[in-house]
Amino acid sequence: MKTPLRFPLLPGIVRLRVGAALGLLAGAILAAAAADQAAAPALSPEDQALLKRIDTGYYGKPQIPLKTNLNYASSSADVEPYGGVKPYKEHFLVQMEYAGSGRGIPEPERVDTVKIGFLGPIMPTVSVATGGKSHNEEALGIAMLQAIRMAIEEANARGGYHKRGIPFELCVRNDNALWGASGSEVIHLAYKDNVWAIIGGIDGANTHIAIRVALKIEIPWMTPGDLDPTYIETNIPWVMRCIGDDRQLNYLLVDYAMRKLDCKRPAIIRSSNRYGRFGVREIRDSCRRLGRPSVIEMAYKGGAQAFDMQLDRIAEYKPDVIFHWGNGDDAARVLNAIRARGWKQPFLTCDRAVSDDFVKIAGPNAEGVICGYPWNPDRQDPKLEAFREGFKKRYGALPDTYAAHAYDGANMLLWAIQTAGLNRAKIRDVLAYRTEPFQGVTGQIPLSSAMDDVGEVFLAIREKGKWIYRSREDLGIPRGKVIEKPRVEREQASAK
Amino acid sequence: MRTSPLFPGLPLLLMGWAAPLCAADKAAPKLDPGLPYVYTQWEQITTKDGLPNDHIFAVKADKECVWIGTEDGLARYDKKTRKIRSWREKDGLPWRVVTAIEVDARTGDVWLGLFGGGLARFSAGRFDHYTQLNSGLVNDVVYAVAIEGDHVWCATTAGASRYDTKTDKWDIFTEKNAPMEEIWNYNVSARDGKVHLAVWGSGILEFDVKTENWKVYLDPDGEMEIDLYRDDGNVHVITTGASYVEKVLWVSSYFGCARYDGRHWRGYFDHDCGLPSNFNNNLKARSGQEAWFCSDKGLGACMDAATCTWVTYTSDGNKHSGKAVIKRENEVIEVVDTGYSVPHNFQISVDFDGNDVWAGTSKGVGHGIGQGYYPRLRASGAITAQAK
Repeated sequence: MKTPLRFPLLPGIVRLRVGAALGLLAGAILAAAAADQAAAPALSPEDQALLKRIDTGYYGKPQIPLKTNLNYASSSADVEPYGGVKPYKEHFLVQMEYAGSGRGIPEPERVDTVKIGFLGPIMPTVSVATGGKSHNEEALGIAMLQAIRMAIEEANARGGYHKRGIPFELCVRNDNALWGASGSEVIHLAYKDNVWAIIGGIDGANTHIAIRVALKIEIPWMTPGDLDPTYIETNIPWVMRCIGDDRQLNYLLVDYAMRKLDCKRPAIIRSSNRYGRFGVREIRDSCRRLGRPSVIEMAYKGGAQAFDMQLDRIAEYKPDVIFHWGNGDDAARVLNAIRARGWKQPFLTCDRAVSDDFVKIAGPNAEGVICGYPWNPDRQDPKLEAFREGFKKRYGALPDTYAAHAYDGANMLLWAIQTAGLNRAKIRDVLAYRTEPFQGVTGQIPLSSAMDDVGEVFLAIREKGKWIYRSREDLGIPRGKVIEKPRVEREQASAK
Repeated sequence: MRTSPLFPGLPLLLMGWAAPLCAADKAAPKLDPGLPYVYTQWEQITTKDGLPNDHIFAVKADKECVWIGTEDGLARYDKKTRKIRSWREKDGLPWRVVTAIEVDARTGDVWLGLFGGGLARFSAGRFDHYTQLNSGLVNDVVYAVAIEGDHVWCATTAGASRYDTKTDKWDIFTEKNAPMEEIWNYNVSARDGKVHLAVWGSGILEFDVKTENWKVYLDPDGEMEIDLYRDDGNVHVITTGASYVEKVLWVSSYFGCARYDGRHWRGYFDHDCGLPSNFNNNLKARSGQEAWFCSDKGLGACMDAATCTWVTYTSDGNKHSGKAVIKRENEVIEVVDTGYSVPHNFQISVDFDGNDVWAGTSKGVGHGIGQGYYPRLRASGAITAQAK
């Protein structure tokens, strides 16, 4: 009979590690209990077959069909770039391969714990990029860390790393918002902590730096919190994402405003940092391609308290809908300034507004606000309920979207390590070549050829003091025609 | 060290393809305008030969030796004695991961880019260490190093740094004083009064040493998911390398490669020429006509840009075999049995050493011996005669 074993990780913010002594102790306990444990869950026949095919040594390459998408990001023809022209080359339709020698590296003979790295914003820092305090993302980072910690604890309670009967260990580094520091943190995780995979990232700039390092080092990287579309558009075969990105949220918001509400004069107001700059990219482009270009786009500095300059300019253009991209507290202050002028336009914004901060600051103005949202937390799912309950019990609060996706991302990595063993390239492979979607607490997570989560995204609408989550179908939001054929092989996208 | 078992020590190694060439020469003028040189004599250098690590990030030929930067140490390969001396952290190397090497031809100093460890100068057996805490280096994650006059340039993950070795002054280039849309520098090269930075998200930045002015080469279509036209400019905004020779700029990226002669751009993709893959870690140009690309699926050499003639080197490390495919545009002209060539197909760095070529790979260093090397193309009859 299986005896549950628990290895609660040491609390801490800056650096959370099970110390070597605890690791050894845990290993000893696990080894002693091994006889009493149920056998490790057997691998599915598909996984066993996959393992054989990726066991190529230093020089071989798996002979496995690459995932292929016919349309990048399920973009409708009328919002594709240069829709009237066949491009010479399309990227991201065929899965990136890893062709290096990493699969031949043997598993280490002795390890006391199986380490997984976490890199996220968990402490405020001074940032050159923002000219002051970092991006105010610590609350999101801590939520992620809590959920990942929980996933690791649960895995250890199930017997840790099955092949050796040793516990998993989480190595935590702060995603310092000072540009460039995240690169050094990844190097620390990879070369000093010797982690097998890394999960984390919220800020697009920091995450870009980190994944460039991960590419060179050759280590799997999962993000549950960076929604920057360009994150996976770097063509790095080591990075994946388990949350719907801003491109998908942009498409849904634009379809809602343009195709359903029939708005004609969109205005954009956003934070001036990279999150704001890249967050609205597909809003701006899609509006233009639909023939209703943004009448004005204004930026503000994160944390700003007054928006007169931006709103005075916007007023001149008489918009009939306002898109916003920035942090939740910023969204609330912008919204309050807009409503204080008596403006009634729909206010469409990003998922970060679905937060206590936003509701508190916006007060009654929050009513009617529409946010893009990467999942539906109201979904009825026993797995989700169990996670919520466990999280609340562990931390005294309900998990937010970052926590839920981090929990899924951590479990994806744990599954990959249990399946592939202690080899970074093979851990990457089992995730990359998996054909079935992951069944997470946030729903199904199917990875595209670019290893991006292409699951459904939603709108969160504030109604009667509550967030209500609606799908495209629920709201009857029309969408443009998605042509399932590569552009270089089809007639021009503008073809009817 | 192992040499190609098929052609050990042959003076001009065209035997593998001399016979087919003779036949082809008689049959048709299709080989016209000639054929490129093919490296058929190779040796492989790995940990078995004394390298501290097989994961090679940098190779730099330097007179009697070749410097090799690995994931765990620095090595110096003596070309005469074939002996290797290596340095790890215990030997004074400031950090284990050596991603870039440049040699100052005037002083003989060896400059090392350390991945997460800053910059080091190796001179007279001593390592001087520069970091973001003790110098003007903008970031410790150094991807590439270049020497330009008295200056040492570093491409780091958060901008570029320029160190004046005479005045001890540092300059930092970021989005604040250079046209970097993003600051993620990936490569730097310096030659003929220009410094070129390959920047993820900012294409190629060209710095004119005299005027200190910048010029930017972006992807004209501005889109991540497509390249609209092949020859309209840089193929993508995420670039990994730039090499400028004879006023021709060659560019590598993870999305294909490009060449710019000052007037015309030409894009190269794996489906339309001999480029082994669109995923390219690095490149080095030998001339305005010849450049070598480090792809994840082999070493691709554009040997004659005018005719788009390529030679692509791949190997099978398990069988110790290898081949070179000669292509013009996307037509295969000839396949040459080279014996074991590059030790692994995942290429990370390349350098030239007279007629020879050195390739750093995911699993060791390859040394192509270029006896009888000639640039561009030669008429097949002349090649055959020379081979005989």
